[in-house]
Order: sequence, then structure tokens, then C-alpha cells
Amino acid sequence: MTPIFGPLFDSLDERLQLRGPSRKVSNKVFPHNWSFLLGEVALFSFVVLVATGIFLTMFYRPSTDPVVYQGGYELFRGTELPAAFESIVRLSHDVPAGLLFRRLHRGASHLFIASIVLHMLRVILTGAFRKPRELNYVIGVGLLTLAFGAGFTGYSLPYDSLAGTGIRIAYSELLSIPVVGDQIAFWIFGGDFPTGDIVPRFFVFHVLLLPAVIIGAISIHLLLVARQRHTQFPQLGVDGHKLVYGKPLWPQQFAESTTLILWVGGLLTLAAVLVPWSDVSLMGPYRPGEVGNNAQPDWFMFWLEGVLRILPGIEFSLPGGILISGPLIAGILVPGAVFTAVAVYPWIERRVYGLSGEWHVLQNPLEIPLRAAFAIGIFSFVLISSAAATNDILSRMTGIPIETMTWLFRFATLFGPPLLAGGLFWLSRRRLRRRSLEVATHEQQEVDRYLAA
Amino acid sequence: MSDEHKDLRIVSQRVPPPSQANDAIVMGASLVAAVGAVIFGLGVEFEWPLPLYGGALAVSLFSLGFAVRRYFADRFPDVVAVEPREIPSTTAADEDLADVRSIGRRPLIGRVLAAAAGVVGIGLASPIPSLGPDVGNQLRTTAWRRGARLVTTDGSPLQPEDVAVGGVSTVWPEGAIGEEIAAVVLVRLNNTEPKQPTNLDWVVNDELVAYSKVCTHAGCPVGLFREREAALFCPCHQSTFDAARGAVPTFGPTARPLPQLPMGVDDEGFLVALGGFQEPVGPAFS
Repeated sequence: MTPIFGPLFDSLDERLQLRGPSRKVSNKVFPHNWSFLLGEVALFSFVVLVATGIFLTMFYRPSTDPVVYQGGYELFRGTELPAAFESIVRLSHDVPAGLLFRRLHRGASHLFIASIVLHMLRVILTGAFRKPRELNYVIGVGLLTLAFGAGFTGYSLPYDSLAGTGIRIAYSELLSIPVVGDQIAFWIFGGDFPTGDIVPRFFVFHVLLLPAVIIGAISIHLLLVARQRHTQFPQLGVDGHKLVYGKPLWPQQFAESTTLILWVGGLLTLAAVLVPWSDVSLMGPYRPGEVGNNAQPDWFMFWLEGVLRILPGIEFSLPGGILISGPLIAGILVPGAVFTAVAVYPWIERRVYGLSGEWHVLQNPLEIPLRAAFAIGIFSFVLISSAAATNDILSRMTGIPIETMTWLFRFATLFGPPLLAGGLFWLSRRRLRRRSLEVATHEQQEVDRYLAA
Repeated sequence: MSDEHKDLRIVSQRVPPPSQANDAIVMGASLVAAVGAVIFGLGVEFEWPLPLYGGALAVSLFSLGFAVRRYFADRFPDVVAVEPREIPSTTAADEDLADVRSIGRRPLIGRVLAAAAGVVGIGLASPIPSLGPDVGNQLRTTAWRRGARLVTTDGSPLQPEDVAVGGVSTVWPEGAIGEEIAAVVLVRLNNTEPKQPTNLDWVVNDELVAYSKVCTHAGCPVGLFREREAALFCPCHQSTFDAARGAVPTFGPTARPLPQLPMGVDDEGFLVALGGFQEPVGPAFS
């Protein structure tokens, strides 16, 4: 220990008895694989989001009241803008380093959600969600939905033309909920769209409510990881069912994580310099009744936007005055079904294959045909319907009429995921049969199999 | 010292050889990191271009990370260790503390208490309705009234000739410019006769027809007009409406036509509404 840190630690230890617990913490073993760092990347993006977000909050004005922009940016000088949009223009053009912070925040939000999605993909594919980690898995799925909420509200706050349109679509989706949707929408928006309450409320969601819940959920997520210890890939000569094999927190994992947070920061800064994220100035403020071409939301909303675009015109009533419409299906039912399916999948797999005991060793998804099929089914659906959200751009680029393009995506979204899921199910089952194996139902069986191979 | 410590078993330990090259790398990278941070600070202070100070910060962070990595690689052995997975069971002392048993007496009282707690919980949710007004008729009515003039976004009323041939304009009810749900798109058909199910009584000069601009799908503004097919087109989700046939959907995700605004001309020759919309405008709700 260094000359400064040593005495400081000793004096704290005298009062708090830190030596035992801190030794225990620094001895904690971290299994090693690059994919285990995805969750850390998400965590560090969140740190960057909070830090840059605090700076942005100092300048942002959560209001749509008209104000006249008086700053140095030619395009808007002397024009009347919604206060929120005006403060964004000021941040971007008049506050030193304001644009850098805005871009950092935006880039970090993309990385946050992307790394959560990849982390989740890793957890699903390798089976890290199995007993005893189901609860933490569900918390993780919840964190993804919270991140979506934070992303959407953040996207809305500048109140540029696209943001306003996005809010309008979200409002329409809420309205579409049978019977209670209109009242719920009025409660959230403070009345019929567009009210002056939207921006202040989204601001509260974005800077207070969602971050508080996210911080709470991340804390539980990490506590549970520490409590239940890490999963790991099979390792020759190590009984992974009983032992964690890896590098201790101090010094290796500490060095690795410190490097990672600095490099994530460096990468985001580089991206902020090179990519004009979030330069909404040219888009202009939201004005009711106006929208341009290329009206796409943020990429993580593409899959729902795609479903919204490719659903044919359906509206029908069920008994009891329940109206089923496109926005209801695309905005409420599809995401509800996908998130529910993902959240309950651990229990389905355990039930279907009669799995027993606890699982700590990761596996190839092809060892479990249902999981391989489930993962490719869900993710191909999300990817294809995400691509469908760019049908207008693709149509213009390729010259294929928009109608044909939309029909192509209708077929691809309807038949692609089931075909891929069925195909992979068949392949992985054949792979098991070739080795004359059944799905391993408890971990020792799986470990023995690995050692024999 | 403690049991926990024994839990960690070191499997292998590789001590790095002393390396002057590594020392030089750590020194160099640390210097680059410090210089980068100084450039960043000066750049923000003196408002240098963003690529310069942002780039300097990126380089600084990358090289600080690199320096940390190289520093640790040289100062500490590369340890691989194992620790057991079992979570130690709680000690006997803890169990005693939690082992105060309740006395099985009159279970109803406990249930009443739990139910009352539930009612209190639900009661606390009662401020939720203050978050917004009752929906009432708001989604079914707009500011369009009999005699309301059609005005452009800058407030000027329109005469039939003001709309360009084959063109569209966005209009509002006089006095309610920017009321989103009241947005109307005014279309001047070119070479196409308006046909059923268009309400021909509400068409001016056989060529001017007005529809709600709020898409019946998800509420985007139906902002684009393809003159050749007289098609109104929503840029958000590509719903397409035939402006010559009562704005019935011809393609895309919507199921209903855009409501047609009852429109006529007043005594002074300006376009006016003959009444409100006959159906609710915008996306579906139930």
C-alpha cells in the first residue's frame, strides 16, 4: 500500500473493522472471458450517462413555452422556439463543451442499450439464467425495459420535430389500449396531446424517476451477482459446479475494469468527436402538423416501429367494446409478448427438459435445441422487424416501390423467425443425436460430457 | 487470519520479469494522458474547436487506460485462483435471533390488519386521477365549428384560388392554430374528379377537398401528396389514402379513411367549415 493510503486505511479499519470484509471482497474470483465484460460496459456507460446528464441538466429547460433564441447560432437567432429546444440550441452552440457533453450523453445512451442487449444475448445463449440465477435474469430484463424508457424519454426532451412525432406515436399507442387507454394516456400526458405538461413530465421521468429505479435495480443486480458468484465456461481440470475459477478482484480484475472504464470513456469521446450524434439543430423544433421524410425513431425502437409499418390495416372489435388496432398490436401487445417470453423463458426450459439442480457452468446453446430455437426466433424477429422500420429508405435506395418493399418485409417477418427457429431446432437436435445424447438434465452430466469430449 | 481467506486457493502465479521497456511505456502513456487532459482543459477554456479538445480527451483516456494496464502487469503477479461456490450457511447465533416464534392466537385479527394495510395502500393511489383531466368528449371533438374559416399556419384565411393546382396546404380552424387534433390538409385535385365515398356536398368547385391531417393509424401528420395518383401519404408508417375517393386507405397499416371536413365558401368568398368532423379524428381508441 502506498504511504498515503496505508495509514488512512489503518485508521478507518480501527473504527470500522474493514480488514476482514475488504480482504474477502478483494479475493473475489472473476472468471475470464471477453463476453463477461459486456455487462461492465453497460455499467460504465451508465456512469458516463449520469455524469454527462448532470451537466446537461444544469442548462436544459423543461418547458415548451415559446422563447426567443438570442445566442450565437445564425440559423435560429431571433426566432421563437419552444424553451426546451432553445436550451438545446444554446447548449450546442453557446455553452463551451456543451455539444461535446450532449454527444457523449447520446453516444453513451446508445452504448448502454446496445451493451445490455448483447449482455442479455450472452446470458441467454450460454444459459447463465438457469437456477439459481432466474431472479437476477428477470431484473436484467427489467433493466432493459427501463433503459428503453430512459432512451425514449431522453430522445423526446429536445422537442425537435422527430421527438414530437415520436411522442405523438407513443401517445397513440397508449390510446389504443382497450377501455382504459385514453384515460391512462391523459394521466401520463396531462390531457390531450400535445399538452404543456409533456416535456416537464418526461423530464422528471428521465432525470429522476427512471435513473433512481435503474440505480436501484443495478445495485440489486450486482449484489446478486456477488452473492451467487459468477458462472463460467467449462475448464479442464476444474469442477466448475463446485469452484469458481478465475482472477481475483485485486489486482487483476481491478486493473481490467479500470482499463475498461477508461477505454469506454475514450471510445465514447472519440465517437462524440467523429459522429454528430444528436445534432438536432437542423431538424427544427416540433410544430404540430409537421413532419418530414425519414421519420425514424432511435434504433432500439426500430423493431416496434417496423411492426407498426408492416402490419396491414386491421381494426376490429371484440365483445365488450374492445377494439384491436395496429398501434395496440405493435406498441403494446408485441413488446409485451416478447419481454414476457424472454422473462419467463428460464422456467419454460427447466420444465420442458425436466432440468434439476443448480447450474454454474455455461454451455453451447446447441446443447439445448429449445434454447437455440428460442434465441434465434426472438432475435431474428427483432432484427427483421427493425430492418422493416427502414422500408422507406430502402425503397428509395433500391428503387423498389414502397408497397413491394413492405410486402417483402411482411413475409420476411412472418416466415423468417419461425423458419430459422425450426431449422436451428432440427439442427441442434440432430447434432445431439449424432452423438447419441439427450439433453443433460443436471449439471454433473453436462460437465462429465465435456470432460469426455 | 480468517476463514474467508482460506477460501481462495491460488492455482497458478506467474511473476512478470522486470522490464525497463514496460516502465518506459507506462511513463510515456502517463505523460500522453496528462498532456491530453491539459489540452482538453485549455481547449474548453479558450473555446478551441471541438475535434481538437475532444480528440485530446479521447487520447488522454485511452492512454491512461493503457498505462494502468501496463503498470499492473508489471507490479503484480498474474494470479489464477479458485474459490468454492457454496454460500456459507448462517451461523447459529443469527438463527437464534430470528427464532422468536409468534403465538397462535385469534388468526382473524391478523387478517383484518393485513386487509387494512392493503386498503391503506390502495388509498394512497387515489391522487393518480389528479394527473390529468377526465377524457370526456375531448377525443371526439375539435375546434371546427360551423362557419369557422380555414386559416393557414400564419393565420391568413384562404380563398379557393389560393391553393395551387395539384397542391396541398395545412390549415387550421380560425382561432385554434396549432391545435394538433384539428389539423386539416386541404387538397386541390388535378385531373381527377372526386368520387364516392367522398361527400361531394363538401367539395368546393369540384376540386377542393379537406381531410383531417391526423393519420388514423398512429396520429402522424399525413403530410405528403403524390399528385399523379391523388394520394395522401403519411411519412411515418406509409399509410396511403386516395384523396379523390373520400381518403379511403389504399395501402399501409391504417384501417380507416381520414375524416372529411365539411367545407364550403362563405359570403366573402373564403373557405369555411360547414360543421365539425362527423367521426372522431386520429388513431383508434375504445
